Amino acid sequence: MVIERASVTANELIAEGIFQMNVSAPKIAGENPSPGQFINISVIDSWFHPLRRPMSIAGREGESLKIIYKIFGAGTRLLSEFPVGSFIDLLGPLGNTFELTEGATPVLVGGGVGLAPILWFDETLRSNGIDHTTIIGARHSGEHFLEHCPKEGFILTTDDGTVGIKGTVLPTIESICLEMENPKLFACGPEPMLKAVKQFAEKETVLCELSVESYMGCATGICQGCAIEHKSSSISEHSYHERFSLVCLDGPIYNAKDIRFP
Amino acid sequence: MSCNLTVEIAGVSFKNPIFVASGTFGYGLETQELTDSSSLGAVITKSITRHPREGNPPPRIVETPSGMINSIGLANMGVERYIDTVIPRIDEIGTAVITNIAGFSIDDYLYVMEKLEACKAPICGYEINISCPNVEAGRMEFAVDPELTGRLTESLREVTKKLLIIKLSPNVTGIASIALAAEQAGADAVSAINTVFGMSIDTQSRSPYVQTNVGGLSGPAVRPVGIACVYKISRKVNIPIIGIGGITSANDAVEYILAGASVVQVGTANYKNADTARSMIDELELYLAENGIENLSELTGGVIPNE
Ligand SMILES: Cc1cc2nc3c(=O)[nH]c(=O)nc-3n(C[C@H](O)[C@H](O)[C@H](O)COP(=O)(O)O)c2cc1C
Repeated sequence: MVIERASVTANELIAEGIFQMNVSAPKIAGENPSPGQFINISVIDSWFHPLRRPMSIAGREGESLKIIYKIFGAGTRLLSEFPVGSFIDLLGPLGNTFELTEGATPVLVGGGVGLAPILWFDETLRSNGIDHTTIIGARHSGEHFLEHCPKEGFILTTDDGTVGIKGTVLPTIESICLEMENPKLFACGPEPMLKAVKQFAEKETVLCELSVESYMGCATGICQGCAIEHKSSSISEHSYHERFSLVCLDGPIYNAKDIRFP
Repeated sequence: MSCNLTVEIAGVSFKNPIFVASGTFGYGLETQELTDSSSLGAVITKSITRHPREGNPPPRIVETPSGMINSIGLANMGVERYIDTVIPRIDEIGTAVITNIAGFSIDDYLYVMEKLEACKAPICGYEINISCPNVEAGRMEFAVDPELTGRLTESLREVTKKLLIIKLSPNVTGIASIALAAEQAGADAVSAINTVFGMSIDTQSRSPYVQTNVGGLSGPAVRPVGIACVYKISRKVNIPIIGIGGITSANDAVEYILAGASVVQVGTANYKNADTARSMIDELELYLAENGIENLSELTGGVIPNE
């Protein structure tokens, strides 16, 4: 975990309301982050925004890290205004990583900008020759910037059917998982999607890891601000009761059956 | 010219007047990768209670303009685990440690302090978080009542000869009279301020952003509130005042010191960068040098009020 002033090498609109930023961050990249981990970004030096914004790492190439974000509030708007060549203050790498289970075939699911860590995981699996399927959902084609390639195990869905399979990611998850011997789901996206994935995984007893989001204060376990309710006692090391876990240290990746959404 | 940054509070000497505030620096050991805590004047721990506390249900924090609202609910490891796991490693912090205590009855505070006294914890003193509901007084906060504050202070004074600091709440009608009650009951110093009541509502869902609806506001947004509190307290008491609230730079610290503070604590600013407080020390030295001030104490209360 280090703080680094990284230089912005790209920051552009890649789909409707969705931006991609690339930064050169040799120190953070030097700590060998893995898919699932995140960085905490100071969107402005001024104290008008005293807290950083956590963002999943969407890719890494050497010293270069990628994030994908949506303009959601004042903080992400400021993020979109960083020109190429400027510097941005990052803390990372933070959090835990997706874990493969031996004998289980990964099924990756990304919804909205929740596709960020999923894309990186997909890329990593691909380059390691690990057989898997990836499903990326959006509301309509304008929000997609990738190609629908079902033959290569890369499937897009849209709510309105303008590209890929029509519908939410859920029916596609169901049909893919139910055909597989031993699937393991890895999902990141908006809370309603995560809830639905969790419900499906529990009903069909499918292994499932979810990447969850939370407001964060320090992202280092100090402020205790990013608590999430959870059931297992195996990940309560950083909070002081079985009931809560800290997303910054114990997460953001959780076994779906361990966590409870409000 | 070399400036003297050392300060003394009730006979206890500190390297410099830049401390870190309770709840924003853990127990002092968590930030080792990000800063050098040994440079700080002192580290104040997260509030420690008699029993471990799981804290409030999420969401617990939200950012607001120049600040944040929290409702952590005093999540902490409890005094037993603190004694077993942190006290043995306290040397690693490399500077003075002040243990912050919270409780829900006078007995609760006494229990924690007596445990720490009994194990001869190598800490230099205690800061008492009195912004807690007293279950024996209809859940009224200790901090809002001079009599309750006085009684609590008196009870704790009997148990320790170490530094005893009472941390005041700004959510009261007259903070100076509460400070006076603490002084008269034997406190060595008062610190001010704890967080200010705050609320922020999501206009789409109509739900407040923190689960408890109302939380505690901190950060630069509360700095003028803190400075005014310190100024008012300084007109009424003679014991040293520790200034807290929204400090992000040496200049902010000097404002507090001019208003009457002897030392300051940096809180929320640590979240953006755990090195914030440490980096202020050099800045402060520069300010003193540039202004020809040899001794920091010359500055305390040095505000020139308008007629
Ligand atoms: C997340 C958070 C947790 C805090 N926890 C405690 C605590 O346990 N005990 C305490 O006395 N003050 C606690 N405080 C209050 C701070 O120590 C400080 O008084 C207040 O935040 C104002 O200073 P600041 O604006 O520099 O943060 C907490 C503040 C924050 C933001």
